[in-house]
Amino acid sequence: MTDNLKSVVEALIFISVEPLTIDRIKEALPDDAEAEIEEALRQLIEDYANGPQAIRITPSVGGYVFATKPEYDAPVRALLQIERRKKLSGQALETLSAIAYHQPVTQAEIAAIRGVDSSHSLHTLLENKLIKIAGRKEAAGRPLLYRTTDKFLAYFGLGAIEDLPSAEELKKLMEEGNG
Amino acid sequence: MPDERDPLPNPEVPLEPDVPAAPVVPLSAADVADDAEAPAPVGPGQGYQIKLPVFEGPLDLLLFLIKKKKIEIHDIPISIITREYLVYLQDRSLINIDREAEFLLMAAILIYLKSQTLLPREKVADPDVEFRQRNFDHLLPIERIQAVAHILRDKEEEQSQVWTRSTLNAPLPDEDLDLVEVSLFDLAESFFALMKRKQKESFRMVKGKEISLAEKTEEIVATLKARGVLDFLDYLWEQESLEDALVAFFCLLELIKARIVMAVQEQLFNTIKVWLRKEAPPEEAA
Repeated sequence: MTDNLKSVVEALIFISVEPLTIDRIKEALPDDAEAEIEEALRQLIEDYANGPQAIRITPSVGGYVFATKPEYDAPVRALLQIERRKKLSGQALETLSAIAYHQPVTQAEIAAIRGVDSSHSLHTLLENKLIKIAGRKEAAGRPLLYRTTDKFLAYFGLGAIEDLPSAEELKKLMEEGNG
Repeated sequence: MPDERDPLPNPEVPLEPDVPAAPVVPLSAADVADDAEAPAPVGPGQGYQIKLPVFEGPLDLLLFLIKKKKIEIHDIPISIITREYLVYLQDRSLINIDREAEFLLMAAILIYLKSQTLLPREKVADPDVEFRQRNFDHLLPIERIQAVAHILRDKEEEQSQVWTRSTLNAPLPDEDLDLVEVSLFDLAESFFALMKRKQKESFRMVKGKEISLAEKTEEIVATLKARGVLDFLDYLWEQESLEDALVAFFCLLELIKARIVMAVQEQLFNTIKVWLRKEAPPEEAA
């Protein structure tokens, strides 16, 4: 049992440049109950999110990492001498959404969802490593299957694909939006 | 003269659902007499006559009207027809085989027609529609996918303004930075400029110490792993001797060639930076 578990977790995340997974935190703290570690982490994330600090703990690729809050974007970019990032096109985003919810998915299925040809978007997404080829479907013609990558999660600040609303939640969201 | 019987509704065995009190005026042969296709109206003496609330007359006429959809087949209780027909047959001493065979055929057709309306129909679907349903039924409608795209757009917007410390070490995708991957000539030029400077500074040119390329490569990879990024010229400048620098230079060239590291010039005339390529398999780096 560790005292100030929250601070300990904070130290572990701070020292990690790459996203620190909850499993690794648990490994580092074998004497603490998993539920307590998870609770400490949850509180820590909340403290930073609502606190006056310029940084927060953000989920990224299965783990957690310190990151600057969006309002400090300009000075950080000035320091690092980084131009504003390019955004994905609406077409590419739509294709990516279709893949995220149906993966592994074939180009024909993406076309069936969107009603338009998506080969250009697929190419862009593959080039940006937001999606990858995940084998072939055992069906007529053995078409290629596509999946989202870890970079996809990092790019959108998601810890896991489950962080996106489920198909049911989505339906509810849309019904609320329409009603 | 055939035995004319009144239909005897048997209240004890209602095999068929109750016949609705028919609003239809019972059709009879006379009603369809002007229809050319209709079987010739036959007199009561010709054969067995069916008597039902919705229909009175011979069976072939009933069949004809059903086929023409003038009578709803659901309103025809076949069990009553059958039961009464059997009673009629039993009461007869002589049977006209041809006529009764005809009746049986028509009764069979009637039963077949009715059974078809009662059994669930097998769908003969458009093969295209069937294909789409089989393969794409599970797909979300485009509206929902577009809603996700909106969510992702917001997250992208937010995430593009969020920076982690790994940004310091890892080069961002090429399109985000005005980075130029340098050629061998750029590297060589930088190196020779450096060598000249170093030559002037130090006279300890040859130390006679053997420096192995493999060791130096390992050292560079280890340094890259520790520091994340190396300034190409600074690193060579740090080397103890010109010989060290020379070996380090060749090692870097090898590492660049093997695509284990990436040498990038931030802008024209700026320093050259060297990164470990993240996707490089670790065994190659060893």
